Amino acid sequence: MEVKPEEKAEIEEPEIEYVSYGGEHHLPLIMNLVDQELSEPYSIFTYRYFVYLWPQLSFLAFHKGKCVGTVVCKMGEHRNTFRGYIAMLVVIKPYRGRGIATELVTRSIRMMMESGCEEVTLEAEVTNKGALALYGRLGFIRAKRLFHYYLNGVDAFRLKLLFPPPRQVL
Amino acid sequence: MADKPVYEEASIDGQPPKLASIPASDTTVWADASPLLQAACAGLRDGELIHGDNFNLFAAMSALEIMDPKMDSGIVCTYYSIDEAIENGAAPIPISLDSTIDVRCTIDIMDHLLACEAAWHKGHSLAQTVFSCIYLLRLDRTAPHALLHSYCRIIRATCKAVVSVVSDARTHEEEDLFTMTYGLPLNGDGDDKCLSILNAVEETISRQLRACKATSSKRRLPEDLEPLQSNSNLEEGFCKALLCRLRFRKHFFHVLSCMKRPQGRGLESARKHIASCLTELESILESADFLRSCFDESCEGDIDDKTTASGFEPIGFDAMLNSRLSAPTPPRAIKILSWKKAVEYFVKLLHDLDVICSYSLDPHLESLLRFVVQFQKSQPDLVARSHLQLLLVQDGKLYGRDPFFAVINKAAALPEATKNHDIQKNESFLQLGMLVMNLLKILCTNAAWQRRKLGKFLQDWRVIYVQLELAFRNEYGEVSSSSNDENTCMKIFQHILLWVEEQTYWIAFRFLILGFELELYSTGEYCMVYWYLYAVLIKLTEKTHLMMAVSHDTAKRKGKKKKDSSKDLARESRIPPAVLFLQCYICLAEGLTMMLAALRNEIPVFHSPSPFNTEHEKFVQHFELLQRACIPDHVSYPSYKESTTHARFSTLAMYNYFKDAQRIAKEVKSSFSNDPESRLGGRWGRNVPFGWIHFSSYLK
Repeated sequence: MEVKPEEKAEIEEPEIEYVSYGGEHHLPLIMNLVDQELSEPYSIFTYRYFVYLWPQLSFLAFHKGKCVGTVVCKMGEHRNTFRGYIAMLVVIKPYRGRGIATELVTRSIRMMMESGCEEVTLEAEVTNKGALALYGRLGFIRAKRLFHYYLNGVDAFRLKLLFPPPRQVL
Repeated sequence: MADKPVYEEASIDGQPPKLASIPASDTTVWADASPLLQAACAGLRDGELIHGDNFNLFAAMSALEIMDPKMDSGIVCTYYSIDEAIENGAAPIPISLDSTIDVRCTIDIMDHLLACEAAWHKGHSLAQTVFSCIYLLRLDRTAPHALLHSYCRIIRATCKAVVSVVSDARTHEEEDLFTMTYGLPLNGDGDDKCLSILNAVEETISRQLRACKATSSKRRLPEDLEPLQSNSNLEEGFCKALLCRLRFRKHFFHVLSCMKRPQGRGLESARKHIASCLTELESILESADFLRSCFDESCEGDIDDKTTASGFEPIGFDAMLNSRLSAPTPPRAIKILSWKKAVEYFVKLLHDLDVICSYSLDPHLESLLRFVVQFQKSQPDLVARSHLQLLLVQDGKLYGRDPFFAVINKAAALPEATKNHDIQKNESFLQLGMLVMNLLKILCTNAAWQRRKLGKFLQDWRVIYVQLELAFRNEYGEVSSSSNDENTCMKIFQHILLWVEEQTYWIAFRFLILGFELELYSTGEYCMVYWYLYAVLIKLTEKTHLMMAVSHDTAKRKGKKKKDSSKDLARESRIPPAVLFLQCYICLAEGLTMMLAALRNEIPVFHSPSPFNTEHEKFVQHFELLQRACIPDHVSYPSYKESTTHARFSTLAMYNYFKDAQRIAKEVKSSFSNDPESRLGGRWGRNVPFGWIHFSSYLK
C-alpha cells in the first residue's frame, strides 16, 4: 500500500475514534467508502444484509468527524463449524499504513471469538501484499488458492484463522 | 402481437434511446403506475424492507438496481438487438465499396477475432469475446463475401471443437465460463464442409498472388481472374497477409481434428500441422509492417495495445449485444488481449500441444506421472490441459488402450501373466482402477484446483488400502498357501498393497510441494512444512525401496539372461538410484528444517506470535487432510516441537545434511549415466534438486 508523503494525513494516533455500527445513519458512510474504493457492485441490500443481521461485527473509524475506514462482517454455521466472514475492509488512501485497518479487523475478530466462532475466513487477491501481511500477522494462513477468482484473471487466497480451542476451566 | 416499438434517435448526451410509444393491442392494456409507486415510496421509512415469506435479506442481496450501470445489463449499450445493430450499419456487407479498404477491414476482423479467441481461452465468456462479432452472429448474411464467410465458418467450427474437448475433459474446474454457449449460434449447417470452403478461397487468393507476381515480371496474366483489390502496388502484400491467416486457421483446425483421434493415432499428423501453424503465425507477425504502412492515415494510441496488426479498430464488433448471454453476473467490460499477446498465446498453446503430441504413450505409470508433472511446470492453459487429459483417459482405459488393472499390475512390478487375473473383478480392485484414473485426471487440472483435490484424495487412497488389507487378511490370514492360484493371488495383494502405500505417499508429497508453487506458505511456516515433508519422504523412501526390492525379485524370477553377472551382483547390493534420489531430498528437508528452526530459536524477530492463535493452530490447518488420513502415522504437533525446539546454529550437524545431499546427488547423477537400465528414478526423472543444494550452500 504505497502512499505519497504529501498525500498522507497529519494525525496523532489517539485521534482515531473506533465506533461499532450504530444504525441507519452509519449506512451511507459505509456505502460511500466501499463504493469509492472497491470495484464490486453492491446494492444497498447487500450492506443491509450484513449490518442488520450482525451490527456488532461492523466497525467504523473516524478522524475529526470524518469516516476514514470501515469493516463489514458476518458469522454463521457453515458445514458444522461456526465461522466468521470478513466481507469488506476499507481505509481511505491518505490514512493507510497506520494500523487503522488492523485495529478495525482486530475488533471484529475479537467480537467473533467472544460470540463463539471457531474460525474466521475471507478472500484476498494474491497480489494484495498489504492485506496478506495484515492478516498474516493476525494468525491467518493461506488455506487455498482460487484460480482466476476475480474477473480480471487474478487468483485469490482463501485466508483462514483458526481459534485455539477454548481453555477448560479446572 | 404488439407493433414493433418506435425508437427516437439516441440523444447526444448518451442517454439510452427513449421509446416514443408502445402501442396497446387486443390483449394488453397500459395503465400508468406512477402514482402507485409514488405512494409506495412514502409508505416505507428509511431502512425498512418489505419482508415476504420467501424473501429475506439474503435473497435481497441478489437484487439488481435498474439503470445502475454496474448492474443493469441493458443500460450501457448502443443497440438493443443484433437486428437493430445491423439495420444501423454496424456490420456492413461488403465492408467497404472500395475493395482495398474492404480487404484491409477483413484482415482487421480476422485479427480481432484471433484476439477475442485468445481472451476466451484465457477465461472470459464466448459471448463477450468471439461472439461479439456481429458477422458471426448472423453468419448466413455474409454469404456474398466469400472471404469473410469462409473465415467465420471455420472460426465457428473451431470454437465448437474446442468447447467439445473442454466439456469432455471436465477439467474446467473454476473456469466454468468457458463452456457456456447458451443462446449462441455454435451449430451451423454445413460447417463440416468449412475446410473445403476455406480451401476454395485460399486457392483463389493463391492464384491472385501468382497473377500479381506474373504482372511484375511482365508475363501475361490470365484474363478471367480478377485481382483481390484495386491497388496493384498493394496486391502482393494483401494476398500474402490473407494467405497466412487462412492457412493458420486451416492447420489449427487440423490439429484439433488429429488430436481428437482415439488412442493417439493422430498425434504425429498433429505435430506436422502444429509446425505449419507456427510458420504461418510467423508470417502473420511479419505482415504487420505492411498492414501498418499501406495507408497514409496513422492510427492513434499505442500500437502494442491494438487488437489488429494494422492498428485500426475492427468493424462489426459489439460486446454488449450478448451481455445477457455472457454470464450470470453483472456485465463488466472485459479487456480483449492485444493482437501481439494473442499471437504469443497461440504460440505457447501450440508448443504445449506439441509436447503432448510428442509423448510416447509410455505404458509405465511412473514415467507417465513424471511426464505430467513436468508438463505442468510450463503452466499450460485450459485448452492444452484438456487435450492432455483426453489423451490419457479414454473409454476408461489408459490412452484408450491399456486397462487400468494392467497398468497397476505393471506399476506394482507383478509378472506380465497376472494382468488378466480374475482378481481384477473384485470390488476393491475395480475401485483402485478408478482411483488411478481419477488421479490422472486430477493431475491435469490447474495447480490450485489440483492441490485441493489431491488433499481430499488422500482419504480415498487410505480407505482403499484398508479395504485391500482387510480382503487380504480375510482370504489368507497367516496361512502360507498351498495352491498355485492362491500363491498368485497372495502375491498380487502383497505387491499392490505395497504399491498403494507408495502411491499414497507420493500424492502426499505432491500435495505439500504444490503448496510452495502456489505460495500457500508464509515464510514463518516453512519450518513446519519442511519438517512434514521430511516425515513423508522417510515413509516414501521406505516404500519405494521395498517396491524396488520386490521388483528386482520379479525380474530375477523371470530368469532374464544377464550378460554381465558381476555387474548384476554389484547392482543388487547397491541402493537403487531412485532411492538415493529420495535420500537426497530427505537430507535437504531435514537440513532446511533444522536451519529454519535454529533461526527461529536464536533470533527473536523470526518468532512473532499472533494475537489470536499459535503455531499449533497453523499446523493443524495446514496438515489437516494429511493427519486425517494418518499420513504418516504418529506425526503430530508435539513431535514437531520436540524435533525442533533444541535446534541451534552451534549444532554443526546441520551442515552435514547439505553436504550429504550434495554427495548423494553427485552419486545419483553418475549412476544414471552408468546404468540406464535401472528403474530410472521412476517418477523423479532427472529433476535433481540442485537448486535446493545451491540455495543451502549459499546460506552456509
